[in-house]
Amino acid sequence: MTQTDQAHKTTSIEEYFVEHEPFYLPVSDEVALFEAAYRERVPVLLKGPTGSGKTRFVEYMAWRMSREMSQMQGRRNGGVPLVTVACHEDLTASDLVGRYLLEVEGTRWIDGPLTRAVKFGGICYLDEIVEARKDTTVLIHPLADHRRLLHIEKLGEVVEAHPNFLMVISYNPGYQTALKDLKHSTRQRFIAIEFDFPPRELEGPIIEHESGVDLDTAKQLALLGEKVRNLRGHSLQEGVSTRLLIYAGKLMSKGIAPRRACEVAVVWGLTDDAEVQRSVSEVVTSIFP
Amino acid sequence: MPTPDLQHVLADLKRYPAALNGAFEASLPQIEHAAGAVEQVRWAQEGLRIARQTARSWEPAAEYFRASPRVLQALSYPQFQRWVDSGIELCADSPTMAAAYFRASPGVLPHLLPRNVAGWAALGRGLSRGTWKSASLAARFFDASVDLAAHLSFREMQGFVALVDALSYRSYDLAADCLHLGQRILPTVAEREEIISLASAAVDGSWREVRGCFEGASKVNATVNRPLRARFYRLTEQLTRRGLSNISLFLSESTQSMARIPQDAQDGVVAKAEDLVNFSHEAVTSFLTMAPSVLQRISGAQFQQWYDQGRELLTENQDGGVAYFRVESSRSERVLDQLSSTIELEKVKGLLTAYANALAGSEVQLEAATEAAHKNVGWVEIEQAATDGSHVYLPPVVERRPTKEENFSWLKVVATHQVGHIEFGSFEFDFERPAALFEDLRGRLEEEAPAQAATSIARFFNLFPNRTLAADVFGVVEDARMDFGVVAQYRGLAPHYRGVQREALSARPMIHELPLQQAMVELLIRLSLQQLRELPIPKDYGKEARQLAGLLRRVQDTSATVEDAAEAAIRMYTVISRLPNEVIPPEEWNEEDLQDAQYQEQDADQVVSLFKQEGVPGKESDGEEYESPEDVDYRGNFKPEMVQLLSMMRGLSQDEEGENDLDALTQEALEELLRNSVDIDAENEADISAIANNLMKETAASTPPKGDGAGHTDIPHQDEDGGALDPIEPRSYVYDEWDFRADDYRPRWCVVQEKQVSAGDARFFQDTLRANSGLMEQIRRQFESVRPEMYRRVKHLPEGEDVDFDAALEAVVDIRSRRTPNERIYWRRNKAERDVAVVFLLDMSASTAEAVEEARREGADWDVPSDPVAYTLWLRTRRGEGAKRQYKRIIDVEKESMVLLMTALDAIGDRYGVYGFSGFGRENVEFYVIKEPEEQMSDKVKRRLDKVSPLHATRMGPAIRHATTKLEQIDAKTKFLFVLSDGRPQDRGYSREGVEKEYAVQDTRMALLEARQKDITPFCLTVDRQGHDYMRTMAGDMGYEVLPDVMDLPRRLPALYRRLTV
Repeated sequence: MTQTDQAHKTTSIEEYFVEHEPFYLPVSDEVALFEAAYRERVPVLLKGPTGSGKTRFVEYMAWRMSREMSQMQGRRNGGVPLVTVACHEDLTASDLVGRYLLEVEGTRWIDGPLTRAVKFGGICYLDEIVEARKDTTVLIHPLADHRRLLHIEKLGEVVEAHPNFLMVISYNPGYQTALKDLKHSTRQRFIAIEFDFPPRELEGPIIEHESGVDLDTAKQLALLGEKVRNLRGHSLQEGVSTRLLIYAGKLMSKGIAPRRACEVAVVWGLTDDAEVQRSVSEVVTSIFP
Repeated sequence: MPTPDLQHVLADLKRYPAALNGAFEASLPQIEHAAGAVEQVRWAQEGLRIARQTARSWEPAAEYFRASPRVLQALSYPQFQRWVDSGIELCADSPTMAAAYFRASPGVLPHLLPRNVAGWAALGRGLSRGTWKSASLAARFFDASVDLAAHLSFREMQGFVALVDALSYRSYDLAADCLHLGQRILPTVAEREEIISLASAAVDGSWREVRGCFEGASKVNATVNRPLRARFYRLTEQLTRRGLSNISLFLSESTQSMARIPQDAQDGVVAKAEDLVNFSHEAVTSFLTMAPSVLQRISGAQFQQWYDQGRELLTENQDGGVAYFRVESSRSERVLDQLSSTIELEKVKGLLTAYANALAGSEVQLEAATEAAHKNVGWVEIEQAATDGSHVYLPPVVERRPTKEENFSWLKVVATHQVGHIEFGSFEFDFERPAALFEDLRGRLEEEAPAQAATSIARFFNLFPNRTLAADVFGVVEDARMDFGVVAQYRGLAPHYRGVQREALSARPMIHELPLQQAMVELLIRLSLQQLRELPIPKDYGKEARQLAGLLRRVQDTSATVEDAAEAAIRMYTVISRLPNEVIPPEEWNEEDLQDAQYQEQDADQVVSLFKQEGVPGKESDGEEYESPEDVDYRGNFKPEMVQLLSMMRGLSQDEEGENDLDALTQEALEELLRNSVDIDAENEADISAIANNLMKETAASTPPKGDGAGHTDIPHQDEDGGALDPIEPRSYVYDEWDFRADDYRPRWCVVQEKQVSAGDARFFQDTLRANSGLMEQIRRQFESVRPEMYRRVKHLPEGEDVDFDAALEAVVDIRSRRTPNERIYWRRNKAERDVAVVFLLDMSASTAEAVEEARREGADWDVPSDPVAYTLWLRTRRGEGAKRQYKRIIDVEKESMVLLMTALDAIGDRYGVYGFSGFGRENVEFYVIKEPEEQMSDKVKRRLDKVSPLHATRMGPAIRHATTKLEQIDAKTKFLFVLSDGRPQDRGYSREGVEKEYAVQDTRMALLEARQKDITPFCLTVDRQGHDYMRTMAGDMGYEVLPDVMDLPRRLPALYRRLTV
């Protein structure tokens, strides 16, 4: 059921479809890879730094798959819902599977997002999986191999996944610590698609589209991105994300001076080290008048 | 014939020694000549009177007779009488003194007013206090009077004697010394009164310093402006009166400073020092000591501001003010920094390095241009910017503009230009690669069987009969291409870039004064600097000029490549080399605008034939010999041939297989290459071979496979025989070793001997903490922030802070559905056990004894004073409060880092062990215990850490295995093994024929893998700049870090630890 009023739109999890085509420019063969994987229901792991377009890619693929499925099945709403869960340190298995809710009359079981996706047949996207608690892996493993089963311990049930269900997880190898690494038993249940920031020629149009600045400015932002990313591994742990560049572009399109926009969106966001900040600032002032 | 009276006197004299009579008779004729009979008798009688005074009075009497003829010339008779009377009075006290008085008189009296004669005698008499020593001092005074009187006024002499007198109460020796010094020094200076007064002040306070006052005078003379000297002494005197105790030190330090202060600034400095006297002598000394270095950084007007701020501070807070003037307070540094418009490369090096890395997209190291000259690998001009493809050399100091911002932006432009060569591929030139905008002529111009060239660019230059002209033209074109690219891409920098170009333009020579060929190259340079209008062009060569301008415009295009620059250079060369290199008379020049010049590509065959036709050597004999243009300052030294050669050599020495036929590049071959290079302008053979030699070293040093980084000496390969070993000694252990060629372990191959480190001094630990207190504070804060992360809400507890809603709900559900509920329904914020154990392995190999190149870090090669005192001061200025010893070894830095980390670890309570390892051969792997994990941090541990010192070789494998064993025995959830090293593993027999380096690396890798299999996370940290190479193999998939600068270790190690374990 979809309720719409003036202020917001609420959709229940399994009915969230990506309706409009998200803007996505393929960098390599990732679209073909994902399509093939989905057709074979092979779980997918997206590796890459933050802001490199993983989430957008999943949205785009969900839209594509939705379109394909509804064309195939000839139904209007036969698409593939996208269930996204951002993982965090306190995310437990029951947050994913479901829990009992207390009501006046007693208790009621409510399915968690993962269960819903499994039952309804959607793409379940667990973002930053390494952040989640270890007990979640117990759930993931049987879903991500030939069994395609979800054990709901509290109900004493086993749910067989809907044929359209696909597990997609993502992780950022950049800031892993020794304590937060993906276990091999998990890792080896997924095909891995590597993501990196798009090359300058592609990133320019992306920024242009997303932020609304003119292509010329967008290209300059892309140039800034390329230069700043050269510092990865030297002074910076992570390069500047496309997302941040887009934010800078958005500020510019609203009349903020380019240097100032880059300062707040790029320089300060990247690092707290004053010297590195200045270095990045110098790159900014070289590029933007 | 003597008168009867005289006869009478003569008779009396006969009773005295012959010396007296001799003196009398010698002087008599002169007296007879000058005086009447009565006076003669009076004269003789006075002598007799002196002689009668005491038993030894005949001596002064004799002196009297000797001196008197000349005295009489200076004095009237009544004055003469008083002179004698004074002598007689002296004689009563001491005949020696009187003798000295008479002896000195002829020399002294001409300089004295007659009325002061008695006073002079009284001065001497005042010194005598009836003892032998005092009399002898007085006698010395009279002796010295000859010199003194000639230069000192009577008043000054009085002052000086008062000083000597005062000293004599303390020590006659010192007084005599002072007398001697005064005699020697006072005549040489003009500020006698001030010096005497200063010395008198010193007597009141610290009388030993008097000597210093006199001795300092020569230094003051040498360094202080004449008009200022008197003020300088008065200043010193005031300071002395205010408690300055060490005058000689003050004089020597302050004159050192004065020597370094420009003449015209001295007045201001002294005036300020005088002003500061009212506060404290410390303020003055600090101010004077630091003034020169401060003046080097800022201008006179700024100096006044810096001073005013300090003075204000001084009125509020005495100590703060003194620290300010000593430039030991951050406020002072800050003020200086703000005032100073000078940019020192050293200060912005980190910033610009990151900037350069960002632009270049590859590892670029920044160094002072003096370094390039220092290395002598082909770049000779000091202070000129340059790049060799991996280093960018920049001027160490920029002070060409009035403000800091402008100076920095100039430096930024220079850096961007140099990095631009890398970014825009100036050195990527490939002879074979087609140009983007031109038809390729390179291949067609090459002769049938060209001489083999080492590099693509050399091959290109070989096409030209006049390589110098070709290289110059190519240089300009390439610079123009690149500058265009930079300006097009970096629009923010563009205005500054243009500004620097305009500035460079104003420094160019007059075109029409140059011979034609050079004028054309100069024209290109100006065009490349964006002067497109009003260019002087010779009337007869307008077509050529327009062709050149058109060609240059064509490469000013974002799609132009370095090959386009080369093609354009060929065409330009064809134009320029055909011109006579003669000076064109001024009247034959026009001014033209060339902004619209176009180049019409001629038929390629035509260009080729023109080129070949003009390519005959000797054709350039028309006119003068061609000379290269002056460098454009911001562009510095562009030497593409050298860069390609360097990178080729680096590549060669990395190519272990040696399939390249240029592999065996010998020194001779290299010298030959250099001799033919256009980039090298060496005077003689010795220079060439020096450069070749340095190049060999330079390239070898940066290639790990052949040369070992960080000063390792290679241990020659030696196959080890024998079989398994047994641990015989107590606390010894055997381990297998991995032989990667055999793909198997060598059983029981190494013996690890555990040893206790002897106890050193615990002060090392404290001193390190104190010296790094700022850093420690930072680290502690970082580590403390770990703590809250350790508190976590623990659920499902039988009791706790509050009911856990989820669990309670489940329990209720269970009850309703008549199942046994779980009673663990509470939660509590609990200290989640941070259960980390870590072992640190410190490399104690001999190479860690190597000095950290701190001097280089400081960028200190310029303007280092050679004088030790000045050097110390200079060092203090540069280092500020952190001033410490000047020589540090790698191991010292390792130890210091451990001190900081250990302190931090104690704060979060992780268990940790610290071990060092070294050894020689497989039977003898030494494993030094500094701290066992279960041991508490104690004084003993601190003492042991002090004793950690460089020993022998590095057999990492067994050491890691033993550390793994140690960790295995600890029960912890998370275990880490940190290996801290300064180079690749090596040891006697830690190699196999043909795979020397590989063997040790592979064994170490295996040892690390073993650790990981035991759930230990290994991490390697090396300070070997060349470490990437083998670390990738050794620990690539486990985790390692290469720290390019050892000095970063104390900061980096704790940060790394924290990042890995949180």
